[in-house]
Amino acid sequence: MTNVKLRDLPVRDMGTLFGLVLIFATFAFVSPIFMESRNLVNILQQSSINACIAIGMTLIIISGGIDLSVGPVAALSAVISASMLAAGVPPWIGMLAGLAVGISCGVVNGVLIAYGGLQPFIVTLGTLSIYRALALIYTGGNPVLNIPSEFRSWFGNSLAGLPMPVIIVCIVSALAWVLLRKTPIGEYLLAVGGNEEAARIAGVPVALTKVTAYAISGGLASLAAMIVVARLGAAEPILGNLWELEAIAAAAIGGASLLGGKGGIVGTLLGAIILGAMRNGLTLLNVQAFYQLLATGLVILLAMLVDRLTRGRA
Amino acid sequence: MPNPPPALELRGISKQFPGVKALSGVNLLVRPGEIHALLGENGAGKSTLLKIISGVQQPDEGEMFISGRPVKLVGTKAARAAGIAMIHQELQLIPELNAAQNMFLGSPRVTCGVLLAHDAMQKRASEVLHDLDPGIDVRTPVKYLSVAQRQMVEIARALLTDARVIAMDEPTSSLTPSEFEKLVVLIRKLAERGVAIIYVSHKLEEVFELCGRATVLRDGVWIDELQLANTTEPELVAKMVGRELVHNTRHRTAGGEIVLEARGLQWKSRVRGVSLAVRRGEILGIAGLVGAGRSELVGLLAGLQRPDAGEIFVHGKAQQFANPGSAIRAGIALVPEERKREGIIPLMSILSNVGLPTLNKATRFGLIRHGALRARVHADAVRVNMRPLALSRPIRLFSGGNQQKAIICRWLSSGIDVLIFDEPTRGIDIGAKEEIYKIIEELAAEGCAIIVVSSEMREVMYLSDRLLVMQGGKLAGELSHQQYSEEAIMTLAIPRADMAPAASQELS
Repeated sequence: MTNVKLRDLPVRDMGTLFGLVLIFATFAFVSPIFMESRNLVNILQQSSINACIAIGMTLIIISGGIDLSVGPVAALSAVISASMLAAGVPPWIGMLAGLAVGISCGVVNGVLIAYGGLQPFIVTLGTLSIYRALALIYTGGNPVLNIPSEFRSWFGNSLAGLPMPVIIVCIVSALAWVLLRKTPIGEYLLAVGGNEEAARIAGVPVALTKVTAYAISGGLASLAAMIVVARLGAAEPILGNLWELEAIAAAAIGGASLLGGKGGIVGTLLGAIILGAMRNGLTLLNVQAFYQLLATGLVILLAMLVDRLTRGRA
Repeated sequence: MPNPPPALELRGISKQFPGVKALSGVNLLVRPGEIHALLGENGAGKSTLLKIISGVQQPDEGEMFISGRPVKLVGTKAARAAGIAMIHQELQLIPELNAAQNMFLGSPRVTCGVLLAHDAMQKRASEVLHDLDPGIDVRTPVKYLSVAQRQMVEIARALLTDARVIAMDEPTSSLTPSEFEKLVVLIRKLAERGVAIIYVSHKLEEVFELCGRATVLRDGVWIDELQLANTTEPELVAKMVGRELVHNTRHRTAGGEIVLEARGLQWKSRVRGVSLAVRRGEILGIAGLVGAGRSELVGLLAGLQRPDAGEIFVHGKAQQFANPGSAIRAGIALVPEERKREGIIPLMSILSNVGLPTLNKATRFGLIRHGALRARVHADAVRVNMRPLALSRPIRLFSGGNQQKAIICRWLSSGIDVLIFDEPTRGIDIGAKEEIYKIIEELAAEGCAIIVVSSEMREVMYLSDRLLVMQGGKLAGELSHQQYSEEAIMTLAIPRADMAPAASQELS
């Protein structure tokens, strides 16, 4: 286990990796600058926000749920954190406050689902509106400006040639991988998503497991929000529009089943990079945004079809 | 005697799946009006054969004849058109639709080309169904019908298409004895009309009562065709299993100190004031008809539901269970009745399925110690003779018996004090059954208190030291081992005429 080799990857992740290589090869063929290291770093950076959200989404999807409220959660924590920062609060306190807002939003989702017995789709559809409304009401619809440069520089730096957001996502991914593969919570997530009633009878703390997943998703949404706020130097209450769909797409391309019980961190990361590389490559080729949207949709459907056709082999 | 052609004949049927030869050179001959048993352990190839007969799968080799004419059945529609109907073990009705809608599902009658002819369908459905069970209203949504009534609807659906061959896969696995008797009458009536019946069951008593001839499969190979009148049960079992089974008689004990006690348990109208106690090392049986409240009772003991009234004591200490997890922490665990729905996590490995309840004990610094966990599960899997011993394989790829062994393995090294088995061997073949009996007895010998709920009277009598009989949510009586007999159990289990009407429905 210490020495992870390519052939140790699950078959499904190999498939996603193959798709990624195919997309890279295509773009490398038609665009000379696509494979330049500066552009590759760009792709990683552009994928990092979605990857961050998608990791939380993957944990929830594995547990048999869904979180539609990630965008508004990000917006709400962004505006609260940003207004504290703008008011001169020490940056690390402002950041922790933002994360706390995100985690709290996730806990509210989780409690309504696990203890209220409501369906995840409906609960997070409701809180999607509520959290967005709170962000808009709190700011009066205006962006929060004057983010201190100290805070901005935390996320703006590079380390060993990699931008900070990429490094953060790497750390988050590693932690999430350990959580999923090496801790009881990870097994509980798979069990709850695979057969909730059987998991309950086996003594799995079902409600606690679900709340944990939604709390993590909320926390990661606010972490992504911090990265965006630092980059833009402002927090918009409309931040994070349609993030949930991008994240679900990344998880699904990576092999997570919306029925629950199946999915992985490696696959989701590859899925996020596939989406990021697509967008990057098509922009380099000066393809219109409308067609980029079309291409994204086709890639998602293609991935699902390949998934369906190869199922049962693994 | 003029010999009509066999209703269905299979010659030299072979079927290969990736890595497994599911069937090789299997023959089957069923005459019109015959009730023919298809026997074998799980994995012997019965299901594959049924799938081939009903057109779900196509054989790689071999020929198939219906009424003497060669046929190739591709798809269930083709099979139905050829006069073959399947009654599945897990009934395939849609709960929200009524009986008539279910019966015509897939081949509805229409007027004006598109509109469903509800009246005509209902009329035809009730004609057919009336013969089988006049008590069923075809307009009742199927979810309100009893399991036996749903079975009648399934059979009626088969008759609707004028089936000449009806294959029944474990039709009685969830029927009460009285419902079984009704089914027997019905099956005989069908046979008299010339319908050929293929009857698959693990319950050999039923097979001997009902069937004339039997075809035995083992490991995908045709073993023998037998006249059941000239065959004894041990002979038959030996053919199925390939070896003789020995029943070892356990040393019966009165048990040690009381581990689990319940007083006046009440839940909805299903459990009505039940008190009981189980001792260390004792196997307590609970018998009764389906619907008598046995599963509900053990559900209360294992924390699946909270009782409306009554108390539970573990080692003399009053306990309230918020969920199964808290019952497990108090030392009580359940091996549930419906393995697929309540037992296994299908996509997860044997290792994960077995380790699930004890993960917290297998961690260091919050991380699972996979090496130690695997070693422990491996030892337990060896102990229960799990086959194949492939711990990383998803549990859904294992046979029912091995899935059940995995569920039992969960509790082998968990330090549990009371283990409750609800229908421990439902849908499990004879070989695995014996092995599960052995594990239950070993656990008791090690000092675990055991409760066994079973609808199979032989099973509870064989396993238990003491027997409680439930009826209509109440304890109807207790039998000591010397008092065991099927008559004694049935006398207690069957509602008497002076009981409340609600409780006596089952028998009507």
